[in-house]
Amino acid sequence: MIHRDTTFKPMSTRRPLAMAAIGLALGWALALPSAAQDAKTIATAVCGACHGEDGNSAIPMFPKIAGLQESYIVKQLRDFQSGRRKSDIMAPVVAALKPEDFLSLATYYSGQKLKPGETGDKKAASFGKMIYFDGNEENGVPACIGCHQPQGAGHLIYPRVGGQHVQYVTQQLKNFANNDRSNDVSRFMRVTAKRMSEEEIQSVAEYLVELDAK
Amino acid sequence: MKKLITILSILSLGSATVLAQAPVWNEIKGELKTALEIKGDPIRGKVAFEQCQGCHRADASGRVSGAYPRLSGQHAQVLMKQIADIRSGRRNNPKMEPFIGDHVLTPFDIADVSIYLEGLPMLGTNGKGTGSALDKGKQLYDKDCAVCHGAKGEGDAVKFYPMVAAQHYKYLLREVNFIRDGDRRNSNPDMVTVIKPYSSTDLDAVADYMSQFAPPKK
Repeated sequence: MIHRDTTFKPMSTRRPLAMAAIGLALGWALALPSAAQDAKTIATAVCGACHGEDGNSAIPMFPKIAGLQESYIVKQLRDFQSGRRKSDIMAPVVAALKPEDFLSLATYYSGQKLKPGETGDKKAASFGKMIYFDGNEENGVPACIGCHQPQGAGHLIYPRVGGQHVQYVTQQLKNFANNDRSNDVSRFMRVTAKRMSEEEIQSVAEYLVELDAK
Repeated sequence: MKKLITILSILSLGSATVLAQAPVWNEIKGELKTALEIKGDPIRGKVAFEQCQGCHRADASGRVSGAYPRLSGQHAQVLMKQIADIRSGRRNNPKMEPFIGDHVLTPFDIADVSIYLEGLPMLGTNGKGTGSALDKGKQLYDKDCAVCHGAKGEGDAVKFYPMVAAQHYKYLLREVNFIRDGDRRNSNPDMVTVIKPYSSTDLDAVADYMSQFAPPKK
C-alpha cells in the first residue's frame, strides 16, 4: 500500500480543494475593514479606469473582473507579475502593486456583482449555447459546462465566464490557441481552444455575454 | 577483451529481443501498479473528475452518441488500467490523451478518480441498438463473451475485464470493431482471436445485445 504524502504543499499544488480552502481562510482573515478600505482605494485609483470601479469594465477589450473567484484573481496577478501570463498593459500595473495587495484586491472584486451584457448576434449565441453545453464530439472540444458550470459561474479553480465581454473572451481563446496565453492549469484551455474553430470561439463568446450567473 | 565485448553485445542483443516482445496485456507494472497500491480517495476524485465532465458529463453517464463512454459504476481497476494504457500509448485516444497526461494526473489522481467513478450511481439511459438481432447477439455473447464479461455484462474487476452493462451501444460497437481489427492494442489477445472471425453483422448483434443489459445491482 502506497501512502499519500499529506505534508503541507504550497498554493501552487494542483489540489484545487486545498487551494480553495487556503484561499478562503486567508481571504477571511484579510477581509477586515481596513484591508477592504485599502482595496477600494487601490481599485479606484489603479484598476477602475480599465476594469471599472465595481469590476464591470465598460471597455470590451478589458475583462469584467467582478465576481471572479478570489483565488483566480490572485493567481492572475501573480502570473502577470512573474511573466507567466504576458500582457504589456498589466505587467507595469502589477509591478506597481505590493504583493500583499493582491489578496485584498481579489477579495474586493470577488465580492462585486458582475453585470452581464447583450449579444449582438442571437444566431451565433444559440450555436454557442450548443458548444457550451455539449462541446463538439467531432473535433473533441469538451463542453464548457464541465468546468465553468451551466450558468458560467465557474467553480474552484475554473473562473467565472458568464457575462464576460465578447471581445475579451474571443481574444483569450485565440491567445490560448496560439500559446500566447499559457498560464492555464494542465494546458486544458490551450488544448481546448486549439480544437475550436473560429466560428465556435465567436459563438461561445456571444452566448456567454448574456449569461447571468448567480 | 574483444571476445568479451562480442559476448556482451550478443547477450545485450538477446535481452533487447526479449524486451521487444509484445507486453502482456494485463501485466501489473509501472504506474498501473502504483495506482493499484494507492488507497483512492473519492472526495479528491470528485474534484479531479471536474476536468472530465465536459465530455463524460457531470454524472459520468457519457454520451448516447457513443463518442464518450459511460464511466459511472465501472470497476476502478479497469479505469486505472485504461487511463494508464492511454497515457503509455498502448491504447490510442488522441482526443483524451492531452487531458490525462502526466502533467495533469498523478498516480494518486488516477486512483482517486477511479474509485470515485466506481462508486457513482449508474444514472441516465444508455444508447441501445435496434434490437433486431438479439437472438444472434445472445448466442454469440453466451458462447464467447460471458466467460469473461459475465452473463449480465458485469465484468471482472480483478482480471481487468470491463463492465459492459449499461454502456452505450455505439461506443461498444466502435470498440469491438477496434479490437477485432487490432486498433485497440491494449486488448486481451484472447479476445482478439475469438472475435477475429466475426463479421460486422456479428459485432453489431453482440454490441446491441450488451447494450440491453441493465446496470448490475450492487
